[in-house]
Amino acid sequence: MRATFPHLLHLDVALGILYPTLGIEIVPPPPLTRKTIEIGVKLAPQNACFPLKVTLGNFVESIEKGADTLFMAGGVGPCRFGYYGQIQRLILEDLGYKVQFILLDHPRYGIRSFVQALRTMTGGKISPARIVRATALAWKVLRFTETIEAKRRALRCLVERKDALDRVVEGTLTRLRWVESVTALEEIIRSTEEALRALPLVREEGEVLKVGIVGEVYVAQEKRINFDVERLLGDLGVYVHNSVSTVEYILHTLPFTRSREKEETWRLARPYLQRFVGGEGIDSVGSAIRYAQWGFDGVVHLYPFTCMPEIVAKGILTQVSKDYDLPILHLAIDEHAGEAGLITRVEAFVDVLERRKKTRRKSEVGRAWTYS
Amino acid sequence: MDLFLGVDVGSVTTKFVLMDREKRIVASCYLRTSGDPIAALKDGLRYIERHFPSGGLIKAVGTTGSARHLAGIVVGADIVKNEITAHAVAAITRVPEVRTVFEIGGQDSKLIIIRNGVVEDFAMNTVCAAGTGSFLEHQAIRLNVPIEKFGELALEAHQAVRIAGRCTVFAESDMIHKQQLGFGKAEIVKGLCEALVRNFINNLATGKAIEDPIVFQGGVAANQGIVQAFRDFFHGKKRIIVPPEHGVMGAWGAAILAMEYAPECSLFQGFAVVERHFVSRSFTCEDCPNSCEIVFLKENDEVKALWGSRCGKWSPSAVGKRIDEEPAGMKTVSQGEECEQSRCPVYD
Ligand code: SF4
Ligand code: SF4
Repeated sequence: MRATFPHLLHLDVALGILYPTLGIEIVPPPPLTRKTIEIGVKLAPQNACFPLKVTLGNFVESIEKGADTLFMAGGVGPCRFGYYGQIQRLILEDLGYKVQFILLDHPRYGIRSFVQALRTMTGGKISPARIVRATALAWKVLRFTETIEAKRRALRCLVERKDALDRVVEGTLTRLRWVESVTALEEIIRSTEEALRALPLVREEGEVLKVGIVGEVYVAQEKRINFDVERLLGDLGVYVHNSVSTVEYILHTLPFTRSREKEETWRLARPYLQRFVGGEGIDSVGSAIRYAQWGFDGVVHLYPFTCMPEIVAKGILTQVSKDYDLPILHLAIDEHAGEAGLITRVEAFVDVLERRKKTRRKSEVGRAWTYS
Repeated sequence: MDLFLGVDVGSVTTKFVLMDREKRIVASCYLRTSGDPIAALKDGLRYIERHFPSGGLIKAVGTTGSARHLAGIVVGADIVKNEITAHAVAAITRVPEVRTVFEIGGQDSKLIIIRNGVVEDFAMNTVCAAGTGSFLEHQAIRLNVPIEKFGELALEAHQAVRIAGRCTVFAESDMIHKQQLGFGKAEIVKGLCEALVRNFINNLATGKAIEDPIVFQGGVAANQGIVQAFRDFFHGKKRIIVPPEHGVMGAWGAAILAMEYAPECSLFQGFAVVERHFVSRSFTCEDCPNSCEIVFLKENDEVKALWGSRCGKWSPSAVGKRIDEEPAGMKTVSQGEECEQSRCPVYD
C-alpha cells in the first residue's frame, strides 16, 4: 500500500510524520501548483466546489507518482463537503485508476472505529500505544505549523527584512518534516522562537492596520489557492490574523474537545444565525464580530465562488458590517479568479482602511476639543 | 509653477494628466495602448512635453492602471496606486458631494460608494465582459455600426428591444434573433445599452445603496445611449453627472495622489525618457509546474524590474543571467488582450 492525502497548507508535514511511524508507506502529494488546479478543473464537474477540484488534482498527481490508496476526510451537514470523497472516487474510477479510497469518517461516529481503521491500515501489527504516541506527535507538529504561520502573518508588517522572516519560517517547516520525537520538536520550537525574537522590528503593533481573515476552511488557509492574500496584506503594512485553522476544525468535530474560543465564536454569531448552515458559515460570522470587538480595522472574507454556506454568511456579514461599523472585503476564489483584479481590490481596501483610521483619529481629536 | 503628472495605463488605453497645485488640468491626453504600453507611455510624454507650460516644474508623479508598476518605473513615479482609489479621488475632487461612482472601461467596471468624501465600499468586475465596454464593442461590430455612432443611434429609438444580456454569448444570439424578427438597428442598439446597464447593476450593485449624485466616468461614459439607459433605469430620479474629464479621471486621480504624497524630490525621469531604450519581455519559468510567466523590463542590457514569480526566486540579476544564456526563448510582451487596431474602439 502506498498512501496519499490532499494538501491543506502544512497538513502534509504532520501526516508525513504520522503515517510512516505507523508503518504506512506514503507518496507525499506533489506541490500544489497551477497544474494541479488545471487537472482538477478539467476532471471535476463544472459546478463542483473549488476545493473539490483542487484536491482531485492533488490525487491525480499523487496517483501518477505511484500512490494506490487515498485518504480523504468525510464531512457532515447540509453542504456538499460530505460528498467529496464519493464524487472523487467515482471520477477516479471512471478514469480507470485502480485505487483504494479510505474515507476517514467523522470521529463523531466513534473515535474507537477511527483508531480501528488506522489499525487495519497498519495491518494490525502496531500496538495501540504506538498509534497514540505517533498521533500525539503529529498533532503537536500540526499545531506548531499553525503557530508559526500565525507568527509570520503578525510579524510581516513589523520586521525590517521580510525575506529574513520567510527564511526562518521556511527553514523550520523543512526541519519539522524530519522530527521523530517530542523532545526534538520542542528543540525546534525553542530555536525557532529565538530566531523570530532576534529579527529586528521597524514598527510597533500599535501603529499598524489590523485585518482579520474569515471564510471557508480550505480557501481561507491554502495560500497557494488564495493568491497568498496574507502576504499581500503584510507587504502593504497590515497586521494579519486568520481565524481559520485546521486544528480548530478537527477539534470542533467533537463536543468535548471544542475550544472555548470556538464556542464563543458560535455564541457571537447567534443573534444573526441560529441554524447550522454547513461548512464554516457560522464561524465566518462569529469571527468577524470578534474582530470588531478586538478593534480590528477590517475583515477579509475568503470563500469558494459557489460555496453555499459562505454565500449565506456573506449576506449576514453585510449586516454585521453595518452594525459594527466594520469594513469587510469579500473575495470569491475559483479557477477564474484573476490575480490582477484581486490585488487591485486588496490594495484599494487597505487604502479605505487607512483613510478611515486617519479621519477617525482626527474626529477623536475633535471630540477631545469639544469636551475640554 | 508646480505641476503634477498622473499616468493611467490600462490594457486598451493610456491616459496622461498634467495638473497644477489647484488641481486644475493643464494638459491631458487619451491614447490607445495597442498592446505596447512602453510606446504609449513615450507618446504620452511627448504630448505632455509639447503642451508643457513654460516655467513649469514637475513636483511629483503618480501612476495607476493595470500596467501601473511598469509605468512607474519607466516614467519614474513617486506613488503607484490602484485604479479604484485613483478613480475615487478624482471623482471626489470633481464633485465633492458625490455619493456613488460608476466607472466603465474596456475590460472591467467598478462601482464605488462614497460617503462624506471617503470611500465606504466598492465592487469591481473583471470576470464578466457583459458589463464592460468590450460588450458594446463586440455588438457594434456585429451590427456594423461604428462605436462612435452607437450613442446617437440609441437616442433615436423610441423604444428598446429587450435583449437577454446576462452574458455576451446569449446577448449575441438574442440580438441576431431580434434582427431577424425585423427590429430596427436603433431599437436594438438601445436594447443593448439597457442590457449593459442591467448587467452592471446586477453584477456590482446588489445589496448596495445607490445614492445620488452619481458620477459616471470611464471611456463608456462618452456614450450618450448608456447615460440615457442609466437615467431610464433609475426612472430619472437620480442625478447622474458625466464630468467632461470622464475619460482621464484615473490619471487625474493619480496626479492628485502624487501631490498629496508630496515627495521632497520627485523620482520623475524627465522627458528625455522618450529617447531611452526600454523593452518589456517575458519567458516561462519551467523550474516547477507553476510555470510562472516572468515579465521583465529592460533598459539596454540592464534588467530594471520583473513581475510574475510566485516563489520570488527571480531577481533582476538572475533574470539578466538567464537572458544571456538563452536569448531564443524570449518573446516580446503585449499587455492585455491582443486586439486588431481597426476593431478596437477607444474604451478603457
Ligand atoms: S463549505 Fe462550501 S466549498 Fe466546502 S463543500 Fe461546502 S459548499 Fe463546498
Ligand atoms: S518562478 Fe518559482 S513558482 Fe514560478 S515556475 Fe518558477 S520556480 Fe515555480
